[in-house]
Amino acid sequence: MAEKVKLIDVAKCTGCRSCQLACKQWNQLPARQTSAAGTYQNPPDLQPNTWTLIRFQEVVEKEGVKWLFRKDGCMHCTNAACVKVCPSGALYHSDLGTVGIIKERCIGCKECVAACPFEIPRYDSVTDKVYKCDLCLSRIRADLPPACVKACPTGALTFGDKGDMLKLAYRRAGELGGDASVYGDKFVDGTHVLYILQEKPGVYDVLPVKPHVLLSVMAWKDLLKPLSLVAAGGVLAASFLHYIIHGPKTPDEDDNHKTEGGA
Amino acid sequence: MKKGLIKATDAFERIVHWSLAVSCLILCITGLGMMFHSFNFIGTLMGGLKSLKYIHNFSGLFFILAIVFTIRMWWKEAGIFSMPEDLEWMMCAGGYLWHVDKVPEVGKYNPGQKAFFLAVAFFGVIMVITGLIMWFPFYFPVELVRWMYPLHALGFVVIFAFFFVHLYLGTIGSPGSLPAMLHGWVTRAWLKKQHAKWLREMEETGKLEVFGEEKKAAHGH
Amino acid sequence: MTNHWNDFQNSDVILIMGCNPASNHPISFKWITKAMENGGKLICVDPRFTQSAAKAHLYAPLRSGTDIALLGGMIKYILDNNLIQKEYVLNYTNASFLINPALKLPGDNKGIFSGLKDGKYDKATWAYQTDAAGVIKKDATLQNPHCVFQLLKRHYSRYTPEVVSRVTGTPKDKLLNVYKTYAATGKPDKAGNILYAMGWTQHTVGAQNIRTMTIVQLLLGNMGIAGGGVQALRGESNVQGSTDYGLLFHILPGYIATPTASLATLKEYNEKVTTKTKEANSLNWMKNLPKYSASYLRSVYGMNATLDEAYSYLPKGDDGANYSWLVLFDEMYKEKFTGFFAWGMNPACSGAHSNKVRQALGKLDWMVNVNLFDNETGSFWRGPGMDPKKVKTEVFMLPCASSVEKEGSITNSGRLMQWRYKAINPVGEAMPDAEIMTELYYKVRELYEKYGGPLKEALTKLTWNYGPKRADGTIRFVDPHAVAKEINGFFVEDAKVEDPAKKGEFREFKKGDPVPAFAWLQDDGSTSSGCWVYCGSYGAVNMAARRGTKDPSGIGLYPEWAWSWPVNRRIIYNGASVDMNGKPWDPKRPVILWDGAKWTGDVPDGVGNPGSGRPPFIMKPDGVGSLFGPGLADGPIPEHYEPLECPVEKNLLSPQKNSPVLRRFDKKGVGSELDEIASCDPRFPFICSTYRVSEHWQTGVLTRWCPWLVEMQPGMFVEMSLELAKERNIANGEKVIVKSARGELEATAVVTARFKPFDIDGTLIHEVGIPWHFGWITSADRKYGPNDKKPEVFTTGDSANLLTPTIGDANSMIPESKAFMVNVVKKGVK
Repeated sequence: MAEKVKLIDVAKCTGCRSCQLACKQWNQLPARQTSAAGTYQNPPDLQPNTWTLIRFQEVVEKEGVKWLFRKDGCMHCTNAACVKVCPSGALYHSDLGTVGIIKERCIGCKECVAACPFEIPRYDSVTDKVYKCDLCLSRIRADLPPACVKACPTGALTFGDKGDMLKLAYRRAGELGGDASVYGDKFVDGTHVLYILQEKPGVYDVLPVKPHVLLSVMAWKDLLKPLSLVAAGGVLAASFLHYIIHGPKTPDEDDNHKTEGGA
Repeated sequence: MKKGLIKATDAFERIVHWSLAVSCLILCITGLGMMFHSFNFIGTLMGGLKSLKYIHNFSGLFFILAIVFTIRMWWKEAGIFSMPEDLEWMMCAGGYLWHVDKVPEVGKYNPGQKAFFLAVAFFGVIMVITGLIMWFPFYFPVELVRWMYPLHALGFVVIFAFFFVHLYLGTIGSPGSLPAMLHGWVTRAWLKKQHAKWLREMEETGKLEVFGEEKKAAHGH
Repeated sequence: MTNHWNDFQNSDVILIMGCNPASNHPISFKWITKAMENGGKLICVDPRFTQSAAKAHLYAPLRSGTDIALLGGMIKYILDNNLIQKEYVLNYTNASFLINPALKLPGDNKGIFSGLKDGKYDKATWAYQTDAAGVIKKDATLQNPHCVFQLLKRHYSRYTPEVVSRVTGTPKDKLLNVYKTYAATGKPDKAGNILYAMGWTQHTVGAQNIRTMTIVQLLLGNMGIAGGGVQALRGESNVQGSTDYGLLFHILPGYIATPTASLATLKEYNEKVTTKTKEANSLNWMKNLPKYSASYLRSVYGMNATLDEAYSYLPKGDDGANYSWLVLFDEMYKEKFTGFFAWGMNPACSGAHSNKVRQALGKLDWMVNVNLFDNETGSFWRGPGMDPKKVKTEVFMLPCASSVEKEGSITNSGRLMQWRYKAINPVGEAMPDAEIMTELYYKVRELYEKYGGPLKEALTKLTWNYGPKRADGTIRFVDPHAVAKEINGFFVEDAKVEDPAKKGEFREFKKGDPVPAFAWLQDDGSTSSGCWVYCGSYGAVNMAARRGTKDPSGIGLYPEWAWSWPVNRRIIYNGASVDMNGKPWDPKRPVILWDGAKWTGDVPDGVGNPGSGRPPFIMKPDGVGSLFGPGLADGPIPEHYEPLECPVEKNLLSPQKNSPVLRRFDKKGVGSELDEIASCDPRFPFICSTYRVSEHWQTGVLTRWCPWLVEMQPGMFVEMSLELAKERNIANGEKVIVKSARGELEATAVVTARFKPFDIDGTLIHEVGIPWHFGWITSADRKYGPNDKKPEVFTTGDSANLLTPTIGDANSMIPESKAFMVNVVKKGVK
């Protein structure tokens, strides 16, 4: 199947949170007690039971205030650090380019939590598993849009083939002008969630300007991981060569004899 | 036990050694099971990868105990190089790699063993620290947590490689060594070959304990 | 709404004022966004920076309750700069009509119109000048000083940007920017649209707020066109429908007046309420009223009574009496009621001055609470501050079915009647409302038949043909289709009727045949129709159930999708979208088009053939839009008056501070010790407004039980500016007490840059805002009995209406919940 992309047009988002609720409904994620805490953003952050969330952010400028609404959630990277570090294969790339998660396989090691450049996966200590959006893979396979896209009333969320979405994104960003840009296609080999941002990326809370697979992850997975086998294999090979070429370091015969003689 | 064998290690040393060895081995095996998808089957053998994770984590706790005792026990004997003989020994690689007419005599631990001990001690501590932070990442800043993984992997690279060196030299690479850690009694010939200085020291201080003979002097840990 | 939701996409400029559709009508933004994508401009005027404001090109703050000042300034701007759509104004409005020279405008009369006597207007001086034949005198040059156009000019000459800015607190540059942007839609091919909701209605000048905008729209030629109109965004999915069906006390279904005691006979009634005109070309559609009243009476009593008898059975109000919400609860509080049905309502939270409402409920002998859940009303006797032992009211709870547990129609803001299907069976003992009513009706009828009673025929002779019948004539269950068919109407006897559109052509109908459209309804009792505006909704097919997706117009009319009243017309007053020769003002977006023989596009409204000279606003007796509206209680032209509770000592526009015709319940009015008004009172220095959030609905009776929604908005909060928070030493997220003259509640402070203090004539005035969805019954700190349902996620706080005043609009009596005075202090601080 062709690669699929979800496009988030923040300029069209009104912060109604239909997506946040639809996600919970489709994925049957329970609500937890929250408290009014001086913001509309609630739950305050992504949680094991909250896979997507509208971030409400006020930006005060000379001309007045701006109120930004950004739907946060898994970006579904092509070069996904979470998949790279996942020991069990619970996190995986689907044929649609999205990053799926097989709940049963997750061992709760939390390696993905630290590895994700967007800080998305959330660990639940009760189930000892990690949770995140899977872009409603079951719905996509049934030719339905992800639940959040289906619920979006304004058209801020759209879903389709990667090529189409990219074209749409660039056209719309061009129309918006100003600081508008497309966010997502230029890093981690392209994400399968794209933003059309109205402000510069750095303006948005918790959104990395230049996300990348972290050096620590690369050192770990691309260098040290293969090196461990190479080194161990090398040692084994060297030992073998040592044995057949140099031979073992055996105690001298006479001493040995003497000892035995003394027995 | 044959008469004339010389006591190289006591029971406590051997217990500590094997505690460390076993926990390390389990950690390596379970670690491999998590590091490589192709080794995920190891998890299956243990009742699932999640059990494997728990085995790894709790073996880690055992490993902490073992490494603490290891360091306390061998720090003085294996943690300090004695010059110049250790240097001389190293110059000729202890006679392991090419023919050396006269290998410098060494004490209870040769510089190779010392290096191994230091590596295990150092990286063992690294593994403990990084492992614990990886186990409980939410108590630490994410930037720190992120670097624990490659450090843990680096420790693995070193320890895993050294493990095979140790295995080879403790067995077929150096026949006669294994009993030192099995029952503790070695042949005089082996001792003379491997640790002549130590043998001499023990003889001189009267600490030599020969099977079937009266102890020349009381000693112990 | 004059137009409909997806028509918003056709607008060149949309003014959001008195509403926050991004939060409260999320789907509207699908079409608002489309309009913006098409190059349209979005303006948002609101006391706070809302989610809608966040999407607008232009945001202008205004102090709550000063909308007329702002819009009056816009009218002045339009007139001063000659931005009106001249042809439209001249031909389609009463601009040229001459008014009684004795009329005095507030500017010349200490802030009031002429005719005020004892808190009521005698409207004699507001009348049109007529000639000997009774035809209204006009001046097509618009120069006569007594013509409406000149009166408007004179009236709004006081509304200069400087004065308006001092009243509203809107910076002058923003004000002018709003005026300029919106007034640009006066060009014939430009469409300006205004969206409003409770932010306009819930004021003592609520009706006049809306009137002001209709004047703007008429001056700019924006009524009747695609992308134009005035849109009342309803506060509930079926408010439009319930109003159509006569929910309010003063109207019967179809907006025909409720009879009063002095109108003893149907003839007198018809004579009184049927509009008349002497204007030669005016169609005066409501001359047909006798047909609608007769058909309505038939639908109620069928052939069980003659029309005259049926009329005599109808309940009648006392002349001049008002039976609206505030009055009802005042009377209830004064122990004038024995029983009360709270049907699908939660007055203990939704009623202004909820403390009074809660006390009033305790003065009843019995109350029936029909709802999905127990609520603050049903359990008022064990609510905060109540002693159950001292409450005598016996409460009955009747669980009813939710909207997905029954079949039927709803009518949305765009007048679109859409059929819905039952998805699941009602839970437990719950029943659809109609079933409960039927059971109740049979029981009451039985008692009347057994024991008699005054006007017992009013009940015993009702028709009740709402489903398949048992042997004893009672129905087995309510069939919503039977109800829908009765609403549509049918012939009660065989009839041969002249085609209303083609003189001399007749059509024959059999008894029971559906009436095709309201033009076919008769005044002789041969037709029945439960609500004439819905006539045509259920004939051979149930029109509301249609789901056709063709849009031949290309402007989003979708005429085959469901059905909208009247006669499936999507944009009402669309006769005004074409010029006098029948050419669309905007050729790109024609609503109706003359193809040489007939109109195409939308169902034409009011137009005869092109060039017939018929003025298009046929629901008005004189056929034109009312720039001058003598029908209102508080003045023929909107004038700014301050909210009854306000922070300013003086109305800067006139010596008259508040509307002179308000009905007060405090000591200055009918008087009860609970009704307190505190204006310019240092104890309550801040303006407060109530509003909604996306996550909750109404008083939250449904949504507060929904854990996913509560998780997002878990409790009462109060939004305030950084400046006010600093002044009161309140940090974001802290608990505060919001207090008015009537009550207080605890809330979480949301300290935000989205609220800014207003500069009102040099004084810094703070405004705060609170949502109104909360109530004590879903909170964690109340007592839960063994049978009480506990919410999965608790809410905090009680109803915002604990604070709101019992003062209503002079016309509608809608309470002024959008502008009243409060104090805000940190919890624990005296």
